[in-house]
Amino acid sequence: MLAKEFIEKIKNNEIDIVEHTEKIIQECKEINKEYNYFNTISEELALNQAREINKKILSKEKNFFANKKLLGVAISVKDSICVKDVETTAGSKILQGYKPLFDAFAIKRVKEEGGIIIGKTAQDEFGFGTFSINSAYGIPKNPFDKERSCGGSSGGAAGLSQKLKNHIALGESTGGSITTPASFCGVFGLCPTYGRVSRYGLIDFANSLDKIGPMGKSMEDAALLMNVIAGHDKNDSTSLNVKAEDYEKYLKKPIKGIKIGIIKEAFGAGVEREVEKNVYNGINELEEEGAKAEEISLELPIKYGISTYYMIAASEASTNLAKFCGMRYGAAEKLEGSFNEYFTKVRSNNFGEEAKRRIILGTFARMAGYKDAFYLKAAKVRTLMINEYKKAFKKFDALVSPTASILPPKFSEIEKLSPLQHYMIDVMTVSPNVAGLPHLNVPVGIEKNLPVGMLLIADHLQEGKLIQLGSAVEHGK
Amino acid sequence: MKQFTTGIVIGLEVHVELNTKTKLFCSCPTHGSEEPNTRTCQICLGMPGSKPVLNKKAVEFALKLCLALNCGISPELIFSRKSYFYPDMAKNYQISQYEIPLGKKGSLKLKDGKEIGITRVHMEEDPASLIHPAGLKESAYVLVDYNRSGNPLVEIVTEPDLASPDEARDFMKQLITVLNYLEIFDINEGIIKADANISIKESGYKRVEIKNITGFKEIERALVYEVKRQKEEAHKIEQETRAWDSEKGVTFLLRKKETEDDYGYIIDTDLTLVEISKKWTAEIKKEMPELAQDKVKKFVEKHKLKKEDAEILAAEKELAEMFEKISEEIDPVLAAKWLRRELVRVLNYNKKELREVEIDERHIIDLLRLVENKKITDNVASEILEKLIEKPFDVNNFVKKERLEAVSDISELEKYCKEAIAENPKAVGDYRKGEAKALNFIVGAVMKKTKGKATPKEVNEIILKFIQ
Repeated sequence: MLAKEFIEKIKNNEIDIVEHTEKIIQECKEINKEYNYFNTISEELALNQAREINKKILSKEKNFFANKKLLGVAISVKDSICVKDVETTAGSKILQGYKPLFDAFAIKRVKEEGGIIIGKTAQDEFGFGTFSINSAYGIPKNPFDKERSCGGSSGGAAGLSQKLKNHIALGESTGGSITTPASFCGVFGLCPTYGRVSRYGLIDFANSLDKIGPMGKSMEDAALLMNVIAGHDKNDSTSLNVKAEDYEKYLKKPIKGIKIGIIKEAFGAGVEREVEKNVYNGINELEEEGAKAEEISLELPIKYGISTYYMIAASEASTNLAKFCGMRYGAAEKLEGSFNEYFTKVRSNNFGEEAKRRIILGTFARMAGYKDAFYLKAAKVRTLMINEYKKAFKKFDALVSPTASILPPKFSEIEKLSPLQHYMIDVMTVSPNVAGLPHLNVPVGIEKNLPVGMLLIADHLQEGKLIQLGSAVEHGK
Repeated sequence: MKQFTTGIVIGLEVHVELNTKTKLFCSCPTHGSEEPNTRTCQICLGMPGSKPVLNKKAVEFALKLCLALNCGISPELIFSRKSYFYPDMAKNYQISQYEIPLGKKGSLKLKDGKEIGITRVHMEEDPASLIHPAGLKESAYVLVDYNRSGNPLVEIVTEPDLASPDEARDFMKQLITVLNYLEIFDINEGIIKADANISIKESGYKRVEIKNITGFKEIERALVYEVKRQKEEAHKIEQETRAWDSEKGVTFLLRKKETEDDYGYIIDTDLTLVEISKKWTAEIKKEMPELAQDKVKKFVEKHKLKKEDAEILAAEKELAEMFEKISEEIDPVLAAKWLRRELVRVLNYNKKELREVEIDERHIIDLLRLVENKKITDNVASEILEKLIEKPFDVNNFVKKERLEAVSDISELEKYCKEAIAENPKAVGDYRKGEAKALNFIVGAVMKKTKGKATPKEVNEIILKFIQ
């Protein structure tokens, strides 16, 4: 059942919202035992919200239903997004027990529209990872095969989107953390244009890269949540002051004449055969619906994407993580020694290995003497990449590549990867993230009982086109 | 590297708190409750997920200062993160400016006309305040008050153009005058802090930095001490960072400095670039008041004041404005004399600033009009002024009621003089023997009889007429 249909049933009193929410929470608990999709299930908040909505339904409050876009729909939230009074750790031990005093902008919007917050989903610590294994808490397991990874860093959100019905997830992407797990779990994941959704209340990974976006089992659900969270927010200086579109109007809209550029460098060597085959199936599907596909060479993004991304992301992350020092919130240690000794102890004992690696990498990259060669050079390459994309969008409406070059890997295989091999898995997704471009994972097939995802990239603020194309693939089959 | 020629070389980094109503990146008030940690929010506490939003008013204040200091203005405002760990930092980085400051290459003139180069003027947020309950070194713990965290600051960095602690003091004085004219700094409650770089010829100009001197009088004290110390130990001086202990009146070593601090600056991408358009700058320029140095020029050229008088009047905005209003009705030279001498004397005596007393230009105009028309004597006027400072009243009524009009009737004055001569035969005798001073004694006697209402010069003449 689509969220839209579900909302109608609530409005018509066919579903009791409180009972339904209780059931969903129960279901979440059971799924979680097996799959570790949640860091926290916010049972109390969810039930309070449901009761509150029920009261209004019973009192027949005038106009209550008007514009309640998410009435009663279960919304899960990536753990790095602040929900008032609900433990928010961003997957890190250093934030254990931390309950924010305020809601993120996206959460405020979801609540206003009657969405029910069911919990905080598992992720790599602060978003540092591709497989959701760099976490202080449970590691989410792939809904298709528990031996395999959900992808990351929004792994819990993706897995839950596949497993739990009548639910939409809020994910977050810095370098591919929405589309990669969406691909590995066979769901739609939309990473919006940088600045389209307010970052207010998002625990920062890299400020110039972070984006909040929707993930769902259908394009409809993702578009619906996108309609709720998109828009200008004066509390985030980087929020775009451009009126948000109605994204749902792009659903099932004919795609005849839309021009697709197939990124040449994203196919061939290094891409698993099954992945390539299914992505081409997806492209064929689009062509059958009337889109025109043509190859395009985009050398820069594939060649320099990873290094550019890691320089910028790690530099920014290393400053963002400085605030976690055990002074006012989160993990603390026994108070002794100087403040420097204390901060060091808190950070040594409570950051995970990958967080430490990125702090060291990022701090190094912005030190005098290295900054020109690393951080500043990366910023220049970023501009060149944006220019290259912009050139491509003069000719094409959207670009296409596999989302991940591999099928979801087994945890035992991931263990064998070096950090650099690990980083290379993101090769397809980092570049649109670096360029701030909206991109979408579209599930295009199941191979060896595992899902394959296709990545669509559009020009800034062209989320509508992505939804139009995603919807065409979804309904074409 | 600049070639130094003076015996002492001083450069200052001055931090000034701008008196905006709200903080630099959030809407918390900059002033109000002094209860610790009551003027805070998730932004100035640096809570995870919070984001800064720039206070445009603070930018306008800083722009005014840049313009007043003749700086070149950056076409874009860019903030950077200055990273270092310290318990007064909510985020363990400070939002500041680095590569591209708001203003650069400006200047400020000292009293004697010497021009001091301004290297840069940039904006940044204030950290929290740390309270050491048992003193800086002895406290087992430190308390943090975030009320100040996020207050807007400007940092003004000078070229090493100051050649003495005296010049450094004058620079601070000129700077405060500018801040006062621009009304961007709360002179009563605002905080002014400085770091000073100082070196002397005898040590080969080894640069010593003195950190965190609070208050502008302390800056001179610290520098005087440091010059003395460096001269005494010239051969031992090393490049180092010291701190000023204002209680003991000494500087002490913080750390030896082998390398520059590396704060790993990167752009703060939570904040977008703010364009500083020519139009915006022009609007701000239009709002700016005439500054002290313009006023001096005007006072000399238009009102024919002596430069020295003009400078004293212009140094204080309130005094200068009062002078301008008074000089519309009273002879400017007379007005200047009374304001810079008598008014300043009476204020100093009462330990008051002009802005703290109720007296306004109407009172002074009434008073000086009586002086100008010789209705009252200077002595009487001074006494009235003293009373006016305590509590203002209608000067004309007061003079009438207290019968303070000058004795201008010659026959009456002659009567008093004759009496005084008759009552003081010894003084008259002394004067006739050649003791000129004895005359003053007789004049004094007349003044006593008239209760100061006679003009000494006139009395003098009458007495001479009678006894010569």
